[in-house]
Amino acid sequence: MSAPGAAAGGGRSGTAADWGGFEDNMQGGGSAVIDMENMDDTSGSSFEDMGEMHQRMKEEEEEEEAEGEAGAAEEEDGEFLGMKGLRGQLGRQVADQMWQVGKRQASRAFSLYANIDILRPYFDVEPIQVRARLLESMIPVKMINFPQKIAGELYGPLMLVFTLVAILLHGMKTSDTIIREGTLMGTAIGTCFGYWLGVSSFIYFLAYLCNAQITMVQMLSLLGYGLFGHCITLFVTYNIHFHSLFYIFWLGVGGLSTLRMVAVLVSRTVGHTQRLILCGTLAALHMLFLLYLHFAYHKVVEGILDTLEGPNMPPFQRVARDIPVVSNAVLNTTAKAIALTL
Amino acid sequence: MMQQQQPYTGQIYQPTQTYTPTSAQSFYGSNFEDEPPLLEELGINFDHIWQKTLTVLHPLKVADGSIMNETDLAGPMVFCLAFGATLLLAGKIQFGYVYGISAIGCLGMFCLLNLMSMTGVSFGCIASVLGYCLLPMILLSTFAIVFSLQGMMGIILTAGIIGWCSFSASKIFISALAMEGQQLLVAYPCALLYGVFALISVF
Repeated sequence: MSAPGAAAGGGRSGTAADWGGFEDNMQGGGSAVIDMENMDDTSGSSFEDMGEMHQRMKEEEEEEEAEGEAGAAEEEDGEFLGMKGLRGQLGRQVADQMWQVGKRQASRAFSLYANIDILRPYFDVEPIQVRARLLESMIPVKMINFPQKIAGELYGPLMLVFTLVAILLHGMKTSDTIIREGTLMGTAIGTCFGYWLGVSSFIYFLAYLCNAQITMVQMLSLLGYGLFGHCITLFVTYNIHFHSLFYIFWLGVGGLSTLRMVAVLVSRTVGHTQRLILCGTLAALHMLFLLYLHFAYHKVVEGILDTLEGPNMPPFQRVARDIPVVSNAVLNTTAKAIALTL
Repeated sequence: MMQQQQPYTGQIYQPTQTYTPTSAQSFYGSNFEDEPPLLEELGINFDHIWQKTLTVLHPLKVADGSIMNETDLAGPMVFCLAFGATLLLAGKIQFGYVYGISAIGCLGMFCLLNLMSMTGVSFGCIASVLGYCLLPMILLSTFAIVFSLQGMMGIILTAGIIGWCSFSASKIFISALAMEGQQLLVAYPCALLYGVFALISVF
């Protein structure tokens, strides 16, 4: 029994380098005896062993290749750069190149998009022109049969928005409005710029749907000059506290500036439905914004009068002008009665 | 182990030159007595600051366009600090607001003036001019320490001071940027900015 085993073992060891996997399962040359102690437990089929052998051979080849490459690369580096052991130098150069390309692309994109010089033509105005346009913004045009000219200028509207911010701040300060979750300045700027840019974009979008002939800059300009009425109304009514006065200004001054904007848009739109949609939306938004600014950013009169002290009362503030100096209680009850009736 | 001690070659009161000095320093040598005065090294020139202050305080004096060529931020810093200090004396600790509003205001004016002028303008120049023209506002806040500005007199005084500041600032901008006929257009945004400062002083 040992002779075939010995022969099989000898035969196997002889060819172990090439096909060792097979030798585990293949019997010796013509022997019918199976040598169980040489059986490999894990190898059910010859594929796994083949796979292992192949893997081992590949790894050996790779190691050889890697060593060869490293040697070759080092030799290359050594020849090319005159320094030894700098396989990372190539990597560093590549990284540096990529950084520079990225930086160049970023600076090009920045100079393209952050170029404020494209706005330069819209700020080329004279004081006379600005004054004329301010006054015109309160006068509705009568001729709506052909398109009215809109000045595509951004200086006046921008200054009017900033003026509105200043008036809002002043109103908030005089009425001791407290804003939680934010600052007074941030709220004022956000409200005014949000209205100007947001409503302009919305009306421009509606104008696109309704096929009106107006560009974005013209819309910004139109709405900006329409805020002139708001500025006047709020400036007056934040200082003189009469509800009826506010409503008169709201309808009169606000209405005039809204009518002007509506007339210009009507002259540039064709079709009754389209005109109705566009102008109705704009009129509603413009008038409601003035209403909102008055009530949201300035406390109503009753609340303030309750906190007044008699002798320390400042001369002009928060008191109806034509009432003579009377006791505090009479003043309070009178003011409450007026407010209730409105 | 001091076996290989190097012989001491320098002199104890004069350090040996171990680097090549820059052209500015080589003029002064390396002695303590020859060093330039600290203020001169920092670029703070009190005489120039005084000249510019007088230009601002005298509203009808014609401004020389070249006075703002050198960007001097020491004066504006002093004025902002003085403004905050006078507000502090009135009981309002608002240094942060002063610096924040001046930074944002300078940025806004920089964008606007770059768009409106033929030649560009640098940020330092804008900051310098606006800072110098803050000086009358310090007078307003000093007044607010003693009297309340919420009466009719306060309103008139505030309006006058705002007008004075914005008039000076626009005068200097017009002469420095050669924008003839646009003084009102430049004065109005300055008035809005100084109006915000006045709002801090008054309320």
